Amino acid sequence: MTGNEIWGVVKILLKYLLPTLKIFGFTLLYSVPLGMIVALLKMCRFKPIKWLTSLYILIMRGTPLMLQVIVAYFAVPMLKRSTAMPGVLHRLLDAVNIQADSYLFNTVLVAFVLNYAAYFAEIFRGGIESIPKGQYEAAAALGFSKRQTFFRIILPQVIKRVVPASSNEVITLVKDTSLANVVAYAEITMKARQQMQNYSSLTPLFIAGAFYFVLATVLTVIFSFIEKKLDYYK
Amino acid sequence: MANISIKKMLAGTLAAMFMLTASACGNSDSSTASTAANNDTTSAAESTASADDTSSAADESAAATDDSLQKVLDSGKFVLGLDASFKPMGYTDENDEIVGFDIDCAEEVCKRLGVTLEKKGINWDTKEDTLDAGTIDCIWNGMSIDEKREERMNLSEPYMENSMVFVVPGDSTAEKMSDLADKTVAVQNGSTAQTLLEESAIGGSCKISPLATNVEALQQMDLGLVDAVYLDSVVAEYEIAEAGKDWRIFTDGSESEKYAIGFRKGDQALRDKVQETLSEMKADGTLAKISEKWFGKDVTIVK
Amino acid sequence: MASMLEVKNLSKNFGDLSVLKDISFSVNKGDVIAVIGPSGSGKSTLLRCINQLEKASGGEVVVCGKTMFSTDESGKVVYAPAADLREIRLKIGLVFQNFNLFPHFSVLRNITEAPVRVLKKSREEAEKTARELLEKMGLESKENAYPCELSGGQQQRVSIARAMALSPEILFFDEPTSALDPELTGEILKVIRQLAAEGMTMVIVTHEMEFARDVADRVIFMEHGVIVEEGAPQQLFGSDASERTKQFLQRFNSGKEAQD
Repeated sequence: MTGNEIWGVVKILLKYLLPTLKIFGFTLLYSVPLGMIVALLKMCRFKPIKWLTSLYILIMRGTPLMLQVIVAYFAVPMLKRSTAMPGVLHRLLDAVNIQADSYLFNTVLVAFVLNYAAYFAEIFRGGIESIPKGQYEAAAALGFSKRQTFFRIILPQVIKRVVPASSNEVITLVKDTSLANVVAYAEITMKARQQMQNYSSLTPLFIAGAFYFVLATVLTVIFSFIEKKLDYYK
Repeated sequence: MANISIKKMLAGTLAAMFMLTASACGNSDSSTASTAANNDTTSAAESTASADDTSSAADESAAATDDSLQKVLDSGKFVLGLDASFKPMGYTDENDEIVGFDIDCAEEVCKRLGVTLEKKGINWDTKEDTLDAGTIDCIWNGMSIDEKREERMNLSEPYMENSMVFVVPGDSTAEKMSDLADKTVAVQNGSTAQTLLEESAIGGSCKISPLATNVEALQQMDLGLVDAVYLDSVVAEYEIAEAGKDWRIFTDGSESEKYAIGFRKGDQALRDKVQETLSEMKADGTLAKISEKWFGKDVTIVK
Repeated sequence: MASMLEVKNLSKNFGDLSVLKDISFSVNKGDVIAVIGPSGSGKSTLLRCINQLEKASGGEVVVCGKTMFSTDESGKVVYAPAADLREIRLKIGLVFQNFNLFPHFSVLRNITEAPVRVLKKSREEAEKTARELLEKMGLESKENAYPCELSGGQQQRVSIARAMALSPEILFFDEPTSALDPELTGEILKVIRQLAAEGMTMVIVTHEMEFARDVADRVIFMEHGVIVEEGAPQQLFGSDASERTKQFLQRFNSGKEAQD
């Protein structure tokens, strides 16, 4: 490929950086808080909730994200056609416009958020459980409420402990966005593949690789900065 | 094969998801099953009546509920599904525009129907499911006719001939198919080339390497990772000219094929209208013009 | 003298295991009480039950005239309403064996956090009190340090200041020197002596027998979940003590000598 052609591919991929980052950003935005909620549910003393949460995590971590994206995408149209469903559900599903571009984005997002929330939940649970019992007891003895104890005493310590493991997940997420192309969500990898066909060359794929590399490097720098910031105590 | 299993997996996973949310778990399984059963009966009905002299009774009963054409006309758009990486039938060019022979044909058909053409990227591996899901109206992307596709889709009449051929490096000693019996042959995953090769005389002995795209397959051959590639002659000729390598096509073991447009099983009215429009285009020479633009001659076989 | 703490027939079971049996004692204002006894005798559990870190299985506890819990006729333990429990809890300060400082807060914030969040004091006021307490503990230069930067003895002094910042009526110590190197125990004992001299009401679970003898007004000797003997230090550490107390002290001293 000539320099001009490479530049052309770079320009196309730059245009699809936004859809890639949209999946990345919104997944983080929703999966981190959801992961925290799931972590707390999994530690719930009420057994059925604990079991359901464990099952959810097991399914999400036990099946490929690619499959989950496919399921999320085909779920509504398949249920729409089924006749055995209650009418209320049908009317609800009919309100979903499967032709819209937002449908594609939303289904991809649902799969990503549910999947990543499961991973974050396990990281957060590990973090919460690693906080010594003494911290809860000291907080209780000082009269802090349960809420205050969690948000002021426990959570800040949990955050410091989960940052290294979370940074792994976040960097993986950048690269996992490429899985969205199984339902033809137009992002960097899909566009690179199309240009690969157009130019009969593997170069566009390498260019896409460079995009991911740059993104991952930026995230690595950000996370090492955060880790340093949190390093004021041990 | 791959497509059927995806559908099964989906049904299973959906059922599991329902049980998880503890809502209507009993229904989901039976409902998916009943839809599948419905499909089977319609497909059986249509395959018996697939010839030109369709019995009028079947036609009428289908037409009674078939609003596929009306839907397209009402919405004013015809959604064409393609994986947008099959050069020169339908692919993404250097300006990120979807172009190709199929696209030009479809544009002309839409013009005549008075609707706009919407090109929608799909995953080729799940094309039948995507069609069934209703996010697209047809699959029109140099799709070869085969039995499984006939079973799952309502195909148009063939519009173009194609053959599957072997491509080998210039210094390869292979001259005929049997020379590749103990070699590695790459194909595009999910393509008809894959099916044909599996069922060929060397299908049992050669090692078949299914790759995501024909370009990757050819690249692997160039690097010596595979010994040959089995693919559409349209693509093979195009790629050889494009790459400027001394790759060689040999026609022993080539299988003739035809390209068709895929519609949903029930969408008879839409399929017939598109077919009719293509015939008009053939008759008034528009189709030949488009073909000359892409192939230098009229390669279409529309009646 | 005003009664600060009344414990009547307190019992505690962990499943089938009975850890506390029928414990009764009282603490008056200004009392310094040392609780001694072998490991596993239930000393720490006793403190934790009174501090609401464990739920009691029976009996009654009254703190500063307010009933924390009592047992009804059917043997069910009935706790006071949550609001009362909160109030009662703040009357008792607790110093842990392992300090349990909040590692992510500075020394000053460790001390001010509870007054600000729980007592809703202004930050300025809380910091003023905290600085006074730090000065008393000899740690005035450490207010911006983090717990991990302090020695064990310094951490324990911060944790005493943290408990004192809520102005409790009684201060509980759960083996305050057990996690410290021997050369650091002195500084903690000095602080406790100072508090005793100021008239602070304190209950101290300890293995420092000499210290118990010197500082305590009364000593409680516990073994197997029961109070074996209670009395003035002269009595328990003297020749009039019961056989079991004598045995324990003898074993304890010989063990200590063996260690030295």
